[in-house]
Amino acid sequence: MTRFAVPCGIVVFCLVAYWLSTQFDRVPPILLRGMQPADFPQMVLLLIMALSVLVMIFDKPIQHEPMGVNVWTSLGLFVVFALLAQVDMFLGLGVFAGALAFAWGERRILGAGLVAIVSPTLIFLLFDMVFRIRFPRGLLTNLWYG
Amino acid sequence: MEPLLAGLIVLLDPQLLALLFAATLGGVVIGALPGLNATTGAALLLPFTITMDPIPAIAILTTIYCAATFAGAITAILINTPGTSASATTCLDGYPLAQRGEAGRALGMATVSSTIGGIISVICLMLAAPLMARMAYNFAPPEYFALTVFGISMLATIGDGTPLKNIIAGAFGILLATVGKDLLTTVERFTFGFNELSEGIGFVPVMIGIFGISELLVQAERLNVERKQVFMKAIKLPSREDYARVWKTILRSSGIGTFIGILPAEGATVASMIGYNEARRWSKTPEEFGKGAIEGIAGSEAANNSATGGAMVPTLALGIPGSPTAAVILAGLMIHGLQPGPTMFTEQAVFAYAIFWAMLLVNVTFIFVGLFGAKLFARVTFVPVQILWPIVFTFSVVGAYALDQSMLDVYIALASGVIGYFMRRFGYSVVPLAIGLILGGMLEKRLGQSLIMLDDQWWLMFTRPLSLLFFVLTILALFGPYFWRLFKQRDPLVSTGE
Repeated sequence: MTRFAVPCGIVVFCLVAYWLSTQFDRVPPILLRGMQPADFPQMVLLLIMALSVLVMIFDKPIQHEPMGVNVWTSLGLFVVFALLAQVDMFLGLGVFAGALAFAWGERRILGAGLVAIVSPTLIFLLFDMVFRIRFPRGLLTNLWYG
Repeated sequence: MEPLLAGLIVLLDPQLLALLFAATLGGVVIGALPGLNATTGAALLLPFTITMDPIPAIAILTTIYCAATFAGAITAILINTPGTSASATTCLDGYPLAQRGEAGRALGMATVSSTIGGIISVICLMLAAPLMARMAYNFAPPEYFALTVFGISMLATIGDGTPLKNIIAGAFGILLATVGKDLLTTVERFTFGFNELSEGIGFVPVMIGIFGISELLVQAERLNVERKQVFMKAIKLPSREDYARVWKTILRSSGIGTFIGILPAEGATVASMIGYNEARRWSKTPEEFGKGAIEGIAGSEAANNSATGGAMVPTLALGIPGSPTAAVILAGLMIHGLQPGPTMFTEQAVFAYAIFWAMLLVNVTFIFVGLFGAKLFARVTFVPVQILWPIVFTFSVVGAYALDQSMLDVYIALASGVIGYFMRRFGYSVVPLAIGLILGGMLEKRLGQSLIMLDDQWWLMFTRPLSLLFFVLTILALFGPYFWRLFKQRDPLVSTGE
C-alpha cells in the first residue's frame, strides 16, 4: 500500500507547492538576468514528481510493521509540548521530558525528577548565564527574568 | 610553512587544548551511545559553538567528528551494537572476539587502527586540500555549478535508501533551500507571510530535527530490544604478531578510507564496508572473518576513521561536504561567515591549518582514551533510554531556539523531526535532505550566475572541459552501478565471482 501511497502523497505535495510557486512575483523581462524566481523551485518540483512516479513503478513493496504505542505516545507528547510552549517553553520542556520518561517506563521518582526538573533547569541556567541566551518569556521564566 | 606553524601555535593555547580534550571525551561518549552518532552530535552541538570564535567552534565540531567515529567501535565490540553506522562491520569480528574473552585485544586493535588511519588521512588532508583548492582557482560559475551537481549526484549512493529515494530526499532538501528571498531577484518564495522565513530555513533547526528528534522516535520503536554486554577485565594490548599480521591491512584500509572520504557525500560507513571487504579479500585466512578475525577489525576501523580526514578535503577546498557530518561542519563554517574554497588557504590559512592540527591532535588522543578509558566509556551505553532521550530532546529544542531565539525554529525542528522519522520509516534517508539543504542555495546561485555569464545559453556549459568532466562524472555516479549490474549479469565469470 505504502508503495503507492507515499509517492502519491509526495506528488500531491509537489502539485500544491508548484501551484504556490506560480503565485511568486515575476521580474519584468527588461530587468531579468538569469532565471525568474519561480523557475528553479519549479524545476526541482518537477524532478521530485518524475522520480516519485519512478519509485511507484520500480520500488519493491515492503511490509511495514504498524507504528508502536510508544511512537504514537511520543508524537502525542510533541503536540502537548508545542501547545505548552505557547504558555512557557521551560514548562513545556519539563512536562514533555517527565511525561516521555514515564511513558517509556521510568517509574523512579529520582529518574523522573532528573529529566523533568533538574536537566531543563541546568540547561536553562547554562544558556541564560553562560551563553547569555534568554528563553522566551512565559509563566515560569517571568519569575526568573522579573 | 608559516601558516602551518601559526595554526599550531593558535592550537597550543591551554584553554583551547582543554576544550578540545573535553570535546574528545564528549565525542567518545556520543559515539558510544547507540542512536547518537557523529552527525547527530555535531548537529546538537552546533548551536553551542555559535557564540565562540571560528577556530575553537570548528575545531570542536571536527574533534567530535573524529572522536565519535572512533568510539562507535567500543559498543560494537562490547555489546554488539555499533555506536555509529560506520562501526557496523566492526561488530562482525569485534563481538565474537569479545565473547571469547579477548575484548581488550579487539579494542586495542580498533584503537591503534583508528589512530593510524586518522593520522594518515589528516596528513593527506594537509597536502591535498590546498592543492585541490588551488585547482578551484580555475573554476568559474559553470564549473562550480557542475561540481555541485556532481556532489548532489553522489547522494544517490549514500544513506539507507535506494538511489531513487535518496535523490528525492536530496531534491526535497534543495526545495527547502529555496524558501526565503531569491538571491538574485530578492523576490520572497514560500514564506507564507512569516518575516522570519525571509532569510530562509536555517540549517540548525532542520539538522537538529532530522538527526536528533527523529532518532528519538526511532528509539521509541526499539524500547523493547535487549542488549547484552560482554564484561572486560582489563585492556590487553594486541601482540606483536597481531601487528605483523595487520599492518598491510591498516595501510590499505587507510588509503581506501581517505579516498572514499574525498568523494563528495560518501562517508565513513561506505569506507568501513569497503575496507572490511578488501581486508577479507586480501587475507590469507578469509574463513576466519565473521568469527573474530583481528584483520577484520583493523580493516574496518582504519577505513572509517581515515574517511574523516578525507571527507574534510572537498569540504574545505571546494565547499562540497565529503560526508553527512562534514555537511554539519560546512553549515558551521557558513554560520561563522567562512567561505570554504581557494580563499580559505590564502585569506584564512591559519584557521585552516589550526583545524588540521586539531584533527591530528584528536587522533593522537584516541590512543589514551581508547586504551585507558574504553572500559569506563562502555558504561555510558547503560544510561537508560528513558533518561537519555528526554534530556537529548531538551538539548535539541533549546539548541534549535538558541541560534535566532525564535520559537518558529523550535517548531521547524519538531516538524523536521517528524518528517525525518517518516522518511526513515518509508526508506528515504535523511542525510541527502541535509546535504541538499546546504548545497541547494549554492546550486541555484551558481546556476543563475552561469546563465548570466553564458547569456542564457545553458548548453555552453557542456563546451567547457572542466564542467563537462563533472557532468560526465555525474552521469557515471548515477548510472554506473546499473551498467555494472548489467555487465555482471551478462558475463557469467563476473556474476559467479570467479
